[in-house]
Amino acid sequence: MQKTRIKLAIGVFAALSSSVALAQTSDKPVKIGIATAIQLDRGKDTVSAAQMAADEINAAGGLAGRKIELVVADEGKTTNEGVGAINKLISEKVDVVVGGYNSGITLAQLPHLSRAKTIYLGVGASAPAIQDMVEKNYAAYKYIFRVNPLSSIDISKSIGDFIVGKVYGERGFKKVAIVAENAKWARDMIEPAAEIAKAAGVEIVFEEYFDPATPDFAPLFSKVAKSGAQYMIPMLAATPSDLFVKQWYDMAVPVEMGGVDTGSLDADFFQRIGGKSLSETAINYITRAPLTAKTIPWWDEFVSRFGREPQFTAPGAYDAVHVYADAVKRAGSFASDAVVSALENTRHTGVRGTITFDKRHDLVAGPGLVNALWIQWQEGGRRVVIWPKDLATGPMISAPWLKKP
Amino acid sequence: MAEILLYGAASSASYALMAVGFTLVFGVARVLNLAHGAFYACGAYAMYGFCAAFGAAPAIAVLAAIAVLAAVGAIVNRFFVEPLRARPMAVLMSTLALSIVAEQTLLITFGSQSRNIPLILDGPVSLLGVRIGAQGLLLIAVAIVVIGALWLFLHKAKLGKAIYATSQDPVGAQLVGIRTSTVFAVVFAVSAAMAALSAAIVGPMQTVSPEMGLMPMIKAFSVVIVGGLGSIGGSIAAALLLGYSETIVSYLVSTEWAQIVSLVAVFVTLVVRPSGLFGK
Repeated sequence: MQKTRIKLAIGVFAALSSSVALAQTSDKPVKIGIATAIQLDRGKDTVSAAQMAADEINAAGGLAGRKIELVVADEGKTTNEGVGAINKLISEKVDVVVGGYNSGITLAQLPHLSRAKTIYLGVGASAPAIQDMVEKNYAAYKYIFRVNPLSSIDISKSIGDFIVGKVYGERGFKKVAIVAENAKWARDMIEPAAEIAKAAGVEIVFEEYFDPATPDFAPLFSKVAKSGAQYMIPMLAATPSDLFVKQWYDMAVPVEMGGVDTGSLDADFFQRIGGKSLSETAINYITRAPLTAKTIPWWDEFVSRFGREPQFTAPGAYDAVHVYADAVKRAGSFASDAVVSALENTRHTGVRGTITFDKRHDLVAGPGLVNALWIQWQEGGRRVVIWPKDLATGPMISAPWLKKP
Repeated sequence: MAEILLYGAASSASYALMAVGFTLVFGVARVLNLAHGAFYACGAYAMYGFCAAFGAAPAIAVLAAIAVLAAVGAIVNRFFVEPLRARPMAVLMSTLALSIVAEQTLLITFGSQSRNIPLILDGPVSLLGVRIGAQGLLLIAVAIVVIGALWLFLHKAKLGKAIYATSQDPVGAQLVGIRTSTVFAVVFAVSAAMAALSAAIVGPMQTVSPEMGLMPMIKAFSVVIVGGLGSIGGSIAAALLLGYSETIVSYLVSTEWAQIVSLVAVFVTLVVRPSGLFGK
């Protein structure tokens, strides 16, 4: 009887301790660190969207009774600035870091996050090398997750699928040109995609890599036109997209265009270049389309609150805060290791699709999950999803100087 | 071949407009103005401002941007160059600092996102069977007219002759009654105006952003080194040489290698003929 009473007392004490652990710091806010380039629109939108999610959670009583507070650090445009931002957030003792927009900067930040055992939810960098770190050294890098965008391996598959399914399958364009900036990321992404296309019978009639500092693309476009290509796949990140797309339009290059163009991800891209991206298609992750039940209400709320359309980092940041909150609730703890275990079992329907992570802590792509969207600029700057087929919101159009399909 | 002829002429024209203004300052005032790229960027933003804020027609906005930058050039000379003229290294640092300040000011004022300025001539044109933007043809025509006019001005007009005399011998020019301080101010104003003109025509074909002055500045420097510091004729020849070389490499080899051409040209010039093609 005495032993039973002792066991009962220990059990009650343990149960109380557990709830006290979550509650005892309820006066302190949960600190979510945001590391991003705050001068860039994609950085501003990371902050705005994370704030949206934090406000929603706070309005519903907070996370385990604690208010969420954002701590923003500018990771600038260099690895030095990026590492400085992470160290600032670590010194502020944030519970989690959400952010990133550049793979090089993110890779430089990872060892610092790992040493501090701080959970990192990436929302803007796509290099597979980031998640390679988790695979190679799980114990040290298990804190690193990619919530957004898809990895470049998935993007590469999506490019191949687009060429085969849409460009060749639906439009009947068998001759394709590849023009990519001379960078490892571009080659890593386009070469496997080209193999997928070739295997399906597509002819790659022109392939050239160029210096991103090229100020004049007239000779390149002239060669593409002469190659007989019917569709051109550009791969642009460091290249000023404005310049590339404007010159394509001003020369009325007789070849349609769609591919990877980070400039085209900007919500104001169409307006910024005087509507000259009309008919350009670019891979993207978000637009005002019914991807999930949350997408359109979230989009409208973002536009209403901030007065601008969100960049691709915004849905990632918004979902990342909710994914973290869900994981904390399921873990019953804020301890990093416990939250990591909960994150590994995530299945969260966000604004872009259902978020789950693989063993590398990478976002999983596929039907019903998160997908790369092929979005075309159409009249008035409307963005229309033209691929994948099941998510399409409208038909594909041709450039004004080319015949309609 | 027609492609190389036209695209090469457009590249050469943009290089020549930038380089002639840059070399004019060195040839007359004997200073290296590292703010020349900033003049280019400010010219583009001035045009953007006149178009976006006042709704000015592109052709009017170009003229307004040229006028504003001419005034800016004279002011820069008066406050940042003239007091330091005896110390060329100080002028170098002063104009470099000024270019950094200008870039940061544009960044803070307009943000890092690029801006669009409208074309003066819209639409593609087919010439000699080559598809080229009409603005590209305008660029070629403007470069020929403006550089030709400058040449005539320097050799026929009274003020032009004063500039020419000052470039030959500033002390001698002063002795015959030429106000060299006025000459230097005019030269800076003309140089900045040419940078603004180049930006106002090239900017709409490319992109307008705070750091946009750097590459044209590097190209102008390359052209001037190859052509010979201070030589307008040399700059024109070097602009044609680099413009056509880059286009030929782009067209016949790969766009990947085109940007290396100017660096190779500078290296070869410095090794073989350090004074440049037309330098003394």
